[in-house]
Amino acid sequence: MTGASKPLSVRRIAKTYQSKTGDPVEALQPIELEIAAGEFVVIVGPSGCGKTTLLNVLAGFGEPSGGEARVGDVKITGPDIDRGMVFQSYALFPWLSVIGNVEFGLERKGVPKRERRETAMEYLRMVGLQDFAGRGINELSGGMKQRVAIARTFAPEPSIIFMDEPFGALDALSRRFLQRQLLRIWQQHRKTVVFVTHSVPEAITLADRIVVMTARPGRIKRITTVDLPHPRESTSDRFRDYERELYAELDEELVKSVAAEERSLY
Amino acid sequence: MSLVHPMMLRTGKLLARALPLATAVVVIVIVWQLVIAVFRPHVSLLPPPLLAAEEFWTLFASGELFVHTGTSLARVFSAWTITAAIAIPLGLAMGWSRRFERIVDPFVEIFRPISPLAWIPLAILWFGIGEAGKVFVVCVATLFPTLLSTIAGVKRIDPVLVHAGQVLGCTDQTSLLRKVIFPAALPSIVVGLRISFGTGWAAIIAAELVAARSGLGYLIANGMEILRADKVLVGMAMIGILGVCFDALFRFLNRLFSWGES
Repeated sequence: MTGASKPLSVRRIAKTYQSKTGDPVEALQPIELEIAAGEFVVIVGPSGCGKTTLLNVLAGFGEPSGGEARVGDVKITGPDIDRGMVFQSYALFPWLSVIGNVEFGLERKGVPKRERRETAMEYLRMVGLQDFAGRGINELSGGMKQRVAIARTFAPEPSIIFMDEPFGALDALSRRFLQRQLLRIWQQHRKTVVFVTHSVPEAITLADRIVVMTARPGRIKRITTVDLPHPRESTSDRFRDYERELYAELDEELVKSVAAEERSLY
Repeated sequence: MSLVHPMMLRTGKLLARALPLATAVVVIVIVWQLVIAVFRPHVSLLPPPLLAAEEFWTLFASGELFVHTGTSLARVFSAWTITAAIAIPLGLAMGWSRRFERIVDPFVEIFRPISPLAWIPLAILWFGIGEAGKVFVVCVATLFPTLLSTIAGVKRIDPVLVHAGQVLGCTDQTSLLRKVIFPAALPSIVVGLRISFGTGWAAIIAAELVAARSGLGYLIANGMEILRADKVLVGMAMIGILGVCFDALFRFLNRLFSWGES
């Protein structure tokens, strides 16, 4: 039942935009990145490093100033149902029920009503919310909302899924729970996932590879392959080693971005 | 186990809302009676509450009150529906497309400050005192609240909802408008419809005062001409009662279309 996931190839994607004063601001320096089909890649970087900008360009919400990206053989030119996205603020449709949200993409794909309902139920079961199918969105907690959003994103079986700090607004326990649930789903469906976060432990828990970005203008500082079997215990020595290494990289960038912030204030 | 039955709770809520209203009515009647006791106005200028209530009953029993009320309501409803059909699509387009808004907005800015009542003379000149003129005036009164609320509703939509719609397959403007923009703006549109019903209800009375042979406004104007303040008061009371009723109805609709958000 799983649709084929596809590789993502980012070729010299860059983004410069006009600031309020009219000066060009370089948000992203040319990014070069190859992601294999079914791979889970996490992008970490200090805030304002352009990781969300990159994700938005990849999802098709903004034109890059240069370069191109391809999913499989298809060049990304705009948003498409073949490339799913999970947002930090959930972005659920409050006028639809829980199951209505999960069915949304299926309906757009032209799946007949009956089949749509069955498939949506299946994905709700996957996130453990089958008993909440008829509920309203505003009856749910933040963690439950994000589970609905995950089910909604996986249901139309996109080739790739982008996740923009999806657990950033959740408390630590919900966050841990959702990370595990997401991993389980990803292991079942083997979608290509590009996940943005600023949490180092989250990155190590989830990623096949971690892309560390520099302070603005963002570019790739280094790529770390996380060679640990799942489930990864954050208390293990290997986990701690990765953590130390990544924090060291990020601290360098943090100093730069804090300095840049202070400069812009004076 | 709750000690209070939900039905009792609902009745209690209703009572809590009706009680202040009932109190206000009682206070009005007392003050009215006091004014009569102190100033002793002629009955053709201000009849006592009881006399006005009697006239209310007479007009109610004869069906005349219903005819006038029905006529006024029909005028408001038809105009309100017409403008909703125009203002909602127009507002969606204006809220969605900057360029379109820039073209249309100057027209809105010029016409909006002109009170719908200022259109009554032209309406009479153009349409006479038939239905069309009054519907026209109410159209002017109902267009802008619906339009402006729709525009504001679209502009307030969280862009992330639009993005979500796009990655879930609404890649063309039509499906995006139908599936995301319209439902997302609906709570605000309902607010606009509620406000415009109120402005329309006020405008129809004014239009009927000036030029009509039926409707609550006519009942009031006619009462004045034949020196029957009781008829005037009955008309005014009916306007107030219906206003309260429709406001309650729209409040309910507002809640229904707010998707459980507080």
